[in-house]
Amino acid sequence: MDLAIETTDLIKRYGSIVAVNHLNLKVESNTIHGFLGPNGAGKTTTIKILVGLLKPDGGRVTVLGEEVQGDNPDVRLKIGYMPELPRFPKHLKGYELLDIYGKMYGISTQERKIRIQRVLEIVGLKGRERDFIGEYSKGMQQRLGIAQALLSEPELIILDEPSLGLDPAGMVEVRGVIKEIAKEGVTVFLSSHLLYEVEQVCSHVSIIHRGACLASGRLEEIIAKISGPVMLEVELAEESEDVFEVLKNLPFISKIQRENKTLIIKLETTDDVRPQISQAITKAGGIIVYMNMKRRGLEEAFMRLIMKS
Amino acid sequence: MVYTSRISEKVSKKPKFSDRFLAVVKYELLWNIRKKKFLGVLIAAFAFSTLSLLLPVILSHAFGAPFEANPNFVIGRGGISSGFTLFLFALVSVMNSISGEFESGTIIPLVTKPVSRSIIFFGKVFASLLTISAAYSLLYAYMAIGGTVIYGPQNNLHLMPLCILGDLLSTFVWVSIVLALGSLSKNTILTAISAIIVFLAISISAPIVSVFSEGAWILNYVPGNGASGYVKGANQGMLPGTSVTTGTDSITSNLVRYILSPSEKVTYFKVEVGAGIKELYSEPLSTVLSRSMLVALAYITISTFTAWYAFKNAQVLE
Ligand SMILES: Nc1ncnc2c1ncn2[C@@H]1O[C@H](COP(=O)(O)OP(=O)(O)O)[C@@H](O)[C@H]1O
Ligand SMILES: [Mg+2]
Repeated sequence: MDLAIETTDLIKRYGSIVAVNHLNLKVESNTIHGFLGPNGAGKTTTIKILVGLLKPDGGRVTVLGEEVQGDNPDVRLKIGYMPELPRFPKHLKGYELLDIYGKMYGISTQERKIRIQRVLEIVGLKGRERDFIGEYSKGMQQRLGIAQALLSEPELIILDEPSLGLDPAGMVEVRGVIKEIAKEGVTVFLSSHLLYEVEQVCSHVSIIHRGACLASGRLEEIIAKISGPVMLEVELAEESEDVFEVLKNLPFISKIQRENKTLIIKLETTDDVRPQISQAITKAGGIIVYMNMKRRGLEEAFMRLIMKS
Repeated sequence: MVYTSRISEKVSKKPKFSDRFLAVVKYELLWNIRKKKFLGVLIAAFAFSTLSLLLPVILSHAFGAPFEANPNFVIGRGGISSGFTLFLFALVSVMNSISGEFESGTIIPLVTKPVSRSIIFFGKVFASLLTISAAYSLLYAYMAIGGTVIYGPQNNLHLMPLCILGDLLSTFVWVSIVLALGSLSKNTILTAISAIIVFLAISISAPIVSVFSEGAWILNYVPGNGASGYVKGANQGMLPGTSVTTGTDSITSNLVRYILSPSEKVTYFKVEVGAGIKELYSEPLSTVLSRSMLVALAYITISTFTAWYAFKNAQVLE
């Protein structure tokens, strides 16, 4: 397993506040990895350590195979980073900024021209690049933030709350952009306090709360893990004692509630066992007219996970 | 939508040092020339130069005195001439170069680019050197042309580049001090206020210390105008010679004086109430000049190092 980011027992304090508390984080290469947690969880602090803006008080950090220590411009060569609510010099024009940043990456003049047009198109800033950044709205600065993170075609893109400050249409657009770039073999690490955002774009997720990692892994696994027991609602053509007896004996069913022709089945597994259940009912002579699987709301499960810790 | 041109070499080459450095210089230059305060000071300096060009003409008209050609008008003045102007140029050029980036948050995207903080720092310093050099060159050119038009052909105009270098050396004492303050405080207002206080405190106390005490030598080791003395020559006011100052702000005028008459001596004096002027001691102008240049270099080195060190190790909490 190739890791793009790894932190081991990472600690960061601001005076007496412990912002990052023994954080262990593993981000696999070529994934879209969500860094999910409520406001104040320590996401931005962690990201700032990854890109060298802050120094850790303890623990180790490795980015793209290199240990992050002090000022290391060569690691940053392979990273595109969009800060949380990024701000750029007001007195520069969008194009000037991208051109200067591009030069810092050693991109040739010719290549810069092409790439700047491309990233401007991707983030929807085309036509505004000759305006001073001071005249940009916050949403436009956010888009410029994404553009400058993509400019160098990095191996790893770190986005700190990419949809913060965008209108709903902008958010959808940005999510599209993220999915698109990840198809091209880039690792994307994005922080968010919005569960549904992570759900929509990420393949993997790490949940952080009070500076520590609560859960980490593939998105579906984590969702299954945190979302708790699953309910299955089954309506039969007619009431049947046989069906009830058969179902009661299935190992992954913990409880059945009967309401006339409707059965509310509580499952012990988070796997999808609808085929097995349907088969068992049919064997027992029952006829299914309706079946619906219900998970506990993810948002609710997420809140419970955070409350529990 | 195509994000990458992956056919192009995936292995990113290391950018050249010159690319990184020049990118920072361009970043900073574009900022400097668009700073309103800088433009304001430049315009004020032009207005001031215009005034000093025209004032003798106006006065001679007003008093009906004959107006004389003066071949030493431009170079005889000895540089930009006012320590205050040098200080102002330094202040408006760099007071927010570092602190402003922290305050606006623009430091975050900047220092996360593949450019070391040292390159960013020295790129910024170099850009301010270019900006101030350009401003001074314009001012000198303006004075040379205006002076020639009004006062006739000028002597020693070939010393102008040297004057600009001297003024830059003097200015960079202040530039480096302001940079250090900005880098340590990360606060532009605090930087500006403390720099102004330092400048005023030195400027106000220097003449007093210099004229009324025997401890004037100490002024040779602080930035600014330094101690007051005179070189023997035509009486000027109550002094038995031409008054000179010896500090880091006086490098250009002493440089010109030294080149034109290398063997001059500077005499220090003290004013005693009732007894008039008491001579303290003299030293060669060459000593005064080389000391002020060394002191300037020492301040520049120490302050620049401090600013660089603070910037290099700063965490970005903003
Ligand atoms: N510059 C700072 N000074 C003091 N405390 C800070 C600073 N930045 C963040 N914190 C604190 O550290 C904790 C984590 O903040 P942050 O990393 O910004 O969280 P997130 O990005 O997940 O919202 C919070 O309690 C926050 O108040
Ligand atoms: Mg944050």
